[in-house]
Amino acid sequence: MSAPPVKEHPTDLRWIGQSMKRVEDPRLLTGRGKYIDDLTAPHVAHAAVLRSPHAHARIRKIDASKARALPGVLLVITGAEAAEQTGPLPCFANPPVAQRCIAVDRVRHVGEAVAAVVAESRYIAEDAVDLIEVEYDPLPVVVNPEDALTSSGDAVLHPERGPNNIAHQRTLTFGGYDEDLRSADVIVRRRVRWPRSGAQPMETVGAIASYDEGTGKITIHANTSMYNYVGWLVAASLQIPAHKLNIIPTIAGGSFGSKIFTHKVLVLAATLARACGRPVKYIEDRLDNMTSCDNHGSDRIYELELGLKRDGTMLAFGMKVIDDYGAYLQFGVGHHGNAAAQLTGPYRIKSARINLTAVFTNKCQQGAYRGFGSEVNNFALERIVDAAAGELGMSPVEIRAKNFIRPDQFPYKIPTGNVYDSGNYQAVLDKALEMADYHGWRLRQDEARAQGRYIGIGLASCQERSVFSSTEFWFWNHEPGFALTSSPESVNIKVDPTGKAFVTLYSPFWGNSPETMATQIVAEQLTIDPADIEITYADTDHGSMGTGPGGSRYTVMIAGAIAGAATEIKRKLFKIAAHFLEASERDLELREGRVAVRGTDRGMTIPEIALQAYYFRLSLPDDCNSGLDARFTYDHPYTTQPNADRTDLGVFYPIMGHMCHIPIVEVDIETGQVKYLKYVAVHDCGTVVNPMTLAGHVRGGTVQGIGSTMYEHFYYGEQGQLVTANFADYLIPTLKEAPPNIEVGHVVTPSPFTEYGIKGGGEGGRMGVPPALASAIEDALKPFGVKIDTLPITPMTIRDMIRAAQQGVH
Amino acid sequence: MKPAPFQYVRPSSVSDALAALARYRDDAKVLAGGQSLIALMNLRLVKPAVLVDINRLSDIAYIREENGTVAIGALTRQSAVESSGVIARQCPLMAEAIRFVAHRPIRNRGTVGGNLAHADPTSELPAVAVALDATFVARSTDGQRAISAADFFVGLLSSALASKELLTEMRIPIWPAGQGWSFMEVSPRAGDYALVGVAATLQVQEGICQAARLVYSGVGVRPARVAAAEQMLLGGPANEATFRAAGEVAAGQVDPSSDFHATGDYRRDLVRVLTRRALMRALDRCKKGA
Amino acid sequence: MEQVQVSVTVNGIRYARAVEPRRLLSDFIRHDLGLTGTHVGCEQGVCGMCTVLIDGQTARTCLTFAVQADGVEITTVEALGTPAKMHPLQRAFWEKHGLQCGYCTPAMLLTAVELLNSNPNPTRDEICEAMSAILCRCTGYQTIVDAVESAAGAMKGEAR
Repeated sequence: MSAPPVKEHPTDLRWIGQSMKRVEDPRLLTGRGKYIDDLTAPHVAHAAVLRSPHAHARIRKIDASKARALPGVLLVITGAEAAEQTGPLPCFANPPVAQRCIAVDRVRHVGEAVAAVVAESRYIAEDAVDLIEVEYDPLPVVVNPEDALTSSGDAVLHPERGPNNIAHQRTLTFGGYDEDLRSADVIVRRRVRWPRSGAQPMETVGAIASYDEGTGKITIHANTSMYNYVGWLVAASLQIPAHKLNIIPTIAGGSFGSKIFTHKVLVLAATLARACGRPVKYIEDRLDNMTSCDNHGSDRIYELELGLKRDGTMLAFGMKVIDDYGAYLQFGVGHHGNAAAQLTGPYRIKSARINLTAVFTNKCQQGAYRGFGSEVNNFALERIVDAAAGELGMSPVEIRAKNFIRPDQFPYKIPTGNVYDSGNYQAVLDKALEMADYHGWRLRQDEARAQGRYIGIGLASCQERSVFSSTEFWFWNHEPGFALTSSPESVNIKVDPTGKAFVTLYSPFWGNSPETMATQIVAEQLTIDPADIEITYADTDHGSMGTGPGGSRYTVMIAGAIAGAATEIKRKLFKIAAHFLEASERDLELREGRVAVRGTDRGMTIPEIALQAYYFRLSLPDDCNSGLDARFTYDHPYTTQPNADRTDLGVFYPIMGHMCHIPIVEVDIETGQVKYLKYVAVHDCGTVVNPMTLAGHVRGGTVQGIGSTMYEHFYYGEQGQLVTANFADYLIPTLKEAPPNIEVGHVVTPSPFTEYGIKGGGEGGRMGVPPALASAIEDALKPFGVKIDTLPITPMTIRDMIRAAQQGVH
Repeated sequence: MKPAPFQYVRPSSVSDALAALARYRDDAKVLAGGQSLIALMNLRLVKPAVLVDINRLSDIAYIREENGTVAIGALTRQSAVESSGVIARQCPLMAEAIRFVAHRPIRNRGTVGGNLAHADPTSELPAVAVALDATFVARSTDGQRAISAADFFVGLLSSALASKELLTEMRIPIWPAGQGWSFMEVSPRAGDYALVGVAATLQVQEGICQAARLVYSGVGVRPARVAAAEQMLLGGPANEATFRAAGEVAAGQVDPSSDFHATGDYRRDLVRVLTRRALMRALDRCKKGA
Repeated sequence: MEQVQVSVTVNGIRYARAVEPRRLLSDFIRHDLGLTGTHVGCEQGVCGMCTVLIDGQTARTCLTFAVQADGVEITTVEALGTPAKMHPLQRAFWEKHGLQCGYCTPAMLLTAVELLNSNPNPTRDEICEAMSAILCRCTGYQTIVDAVESAAGAMKGEAR
């Protein structure tokens, strides 16, 4: 597939671009949204899970007799018992790593499930959990990813994969990397550490599963995504035919990636329901979620190098990265595919190398968290760019401006093979500098330093890729395995006999605004009023393919799907209207819900056409059937295969947004506390469907980014104990930790490849905050010569760095 | 995270409550606001066999000025302290400190007595109580006794109360005219337990320090009064240099341990800084009050 | 396990139930009374999802036993309004995009109700202080503060 044709985008838009109030909100505002724990089933029973207190141990013996004897307990099941009916969980890695919904034989992280209880209430289930007696034989614990490289013997988590804890190791080189480094005048090196934090939405993962003996079918209500993409994998784990499983989505109270495919909770709930003969509700509590939701983020150690000319021209960017994946590998090393999409950022870097080692350790496995690994690459790249600026005596603004890809160079192919569709990075930077009054603040900074106050101005220019292609899940593998190339989104639009549009989505609501996006786009396409549009969600029984929210893809993809379905509908509307109006279709136009002969007032409204279409077959053109609906599956608009030796990964994430963040902070050097004086975030997400909701993603993502940068850390102690396992210790920013005013600016470079030129923006501020804030704090502490290479940047670490600098220790 | 089962007793008078505590002793825990206790019970870190719910004992919810003291009933809600005119006038250190306790909904339910009896060394009220030389009244079926704040906080989450005793009142001496005060703390986020907090009072006459109290939270298993730092202030000029020196002394006197949230060194840094800043603020208030 | 009688008024309706002493008020409201607008996030009193008004004051229902609610008046989000007839705060949150996933929204709304009942004219700082009691993972908080500010203005206008 070569580049698709450049699309011409309509300019007089009625609904797209409006900050319309959200369609989702009325029920949410009035407490009438139905999240998974708000639902129930007749005779529902409740599950609780016994979790391992050990980070690594063999399970020698489980005595559940006291638990089973407790009144109100229906079932206690161990991993071995569950394995008699349920197979391993889905795994996207190749070769796959076996994981079970309840551990069999050994546990590999604190919090891993060891047994499950079903009882009349969650209270009784937890009482029973306390009565289960387990004997463990502890095994050596590995927590430091660098130690995992040389693990041996009993310290190896998956001995069937090899003699150590290396999960995957591969080096990819793009372009003339070694040659470019040799021709560099300067090679800047930096070590950077990004520890794991995680999505932590306010709602945990849950499911209600039931088995209907009459139909032999398992039904699962759940707040998961990807049910209409890979939901059948759950059936495979349950060892039932795919058509004997139906997954029904609920709305979710936030996800940020953590609910992208909650296979473990679905498989567990269904296993329990099948085993005990009653519907089973399993809702993670916060401890379940933090220790075992399978949603920890990237956990990386980078050795970076950037080769430049003395005048600041960037030539080559390379890295050796160790990523601590925890105990399993559900998404393979897809996060590094993701990073490769924008590896070289907004710069004209010519070549690159990634030496990747993924390791297993005794921690909860990584999942998907807003950015899926590319936000980490943004951090690494921007840190070394700042380091290079420092070494070359250039300002952070200068070095970026010098190396930006220029507007006339798009579509631009980066060394890894991915393409950036459009952009104007200088315009985004300029706008941010202006909004921030950058030069004014530099003057204020000097004045403040003279008074002994430490103001810092940060800057980061980061890519925000959108619309992933599924090739990123497997092109890192030595053997591709299931080398899928489809990641579509579908929609069904039915215009009913009264002219109302029923729009069915195949992917869930997470707090993104799928109903509002779909409403605005359908209204635009069919020229009807949003009030005449009804959005529904389909389960897997009735669903067409929907890859779901993630990788900032949903709005772009649903726009394409809606355009496809609406085109079908419009074709039929015109055909029927032409027939009734005795006009040529070429002379008709659709305007404000009416198909009319151009230049006259002869026309038919959509309801009028619809009524004819539904009931008057013999009045329609001969080749028209009754009805007025269309379903369309929209594929990724531009994706290509990687080449065989992976020197070119193909096009897999071309819809490229961009952002520039400028935080201005003041550091209290005595306590290390940081205060925001100003925060500017300029984003380019192409054509914006709803500026208000996009700004919501920018701000919300910014505060999540602040969390990862300054407060949040899944911290494992030496024995693999998760020290930050609850909301008192894992520090999610409150209102007071957020900048009081995040000023959002927009630049628009439409995509040439998507409907309306939309680019994804859902990952929002999180993609750029960490390097922006790190550079701001580093800038504030410049008089001390402090360099920031590790997160989180807490007041204590700031004090440590200042104290060390004052004592002359580095 | 659901609590383990317990037997529930809800006395409607103080004497009934004391009888229940005498009967159940170590098997029982007192349920007042529950904002600390229920969180621990939900995590199953604490599994009392009996809960004695004292929320009906309205007799011990009051704020009164009497005989040169301010008397606060143990069941007084923290939010009542926050909005009390008596406390604002007669105990401004407490009025300032109480706003640092968690968040408003916690203070709506949480009680003064419950917070003090919980004896968390990172909590605000214990440090304030020590700084104010408060006295606590403990009652049991054997009678009543007074315990000084200095003696009340025994160890980590451990008070001087016997298992059959109920804390019923806190008494604070009337505020000396012209005394300055300041409560400050540094916590990981707004509303979290303090890493380090300081409760400071200061009396100054003609620019010379006459009396001072410096009590710290977060530096040990109990609120830490640093008499050495107080001593070095007395007779000295009330200015930044003196206060900086006091901060050095205080930092040298405390021996905070390290945990995930803060190292001992960082806590010492905070003691140093907060001492100086709190005394500067207290001085400012002395001047305004004079 | 012996049960205890509880008589509690919720949104103006009086309920009499027998409950286990350990039953959390959050579970009682959600599952015994079927009022699922109040949510659960941590059961540790940190996140604030479970906030209701007890006798007009905000409280974390995960840190309250149902038996303690005997004789009180509880207000949950369901009392504020319906899609057809929204409370000014709900309208303001809608207009200002003060929610994304909606999970924290009931708690935010009731916290704002408590604030505006005692302080109908809050400064932006006072709004921030009050609203900081509840965690939100989606919005970044700014539009929540905007919404409360806007509602305060509208409610003063309506009161006149």
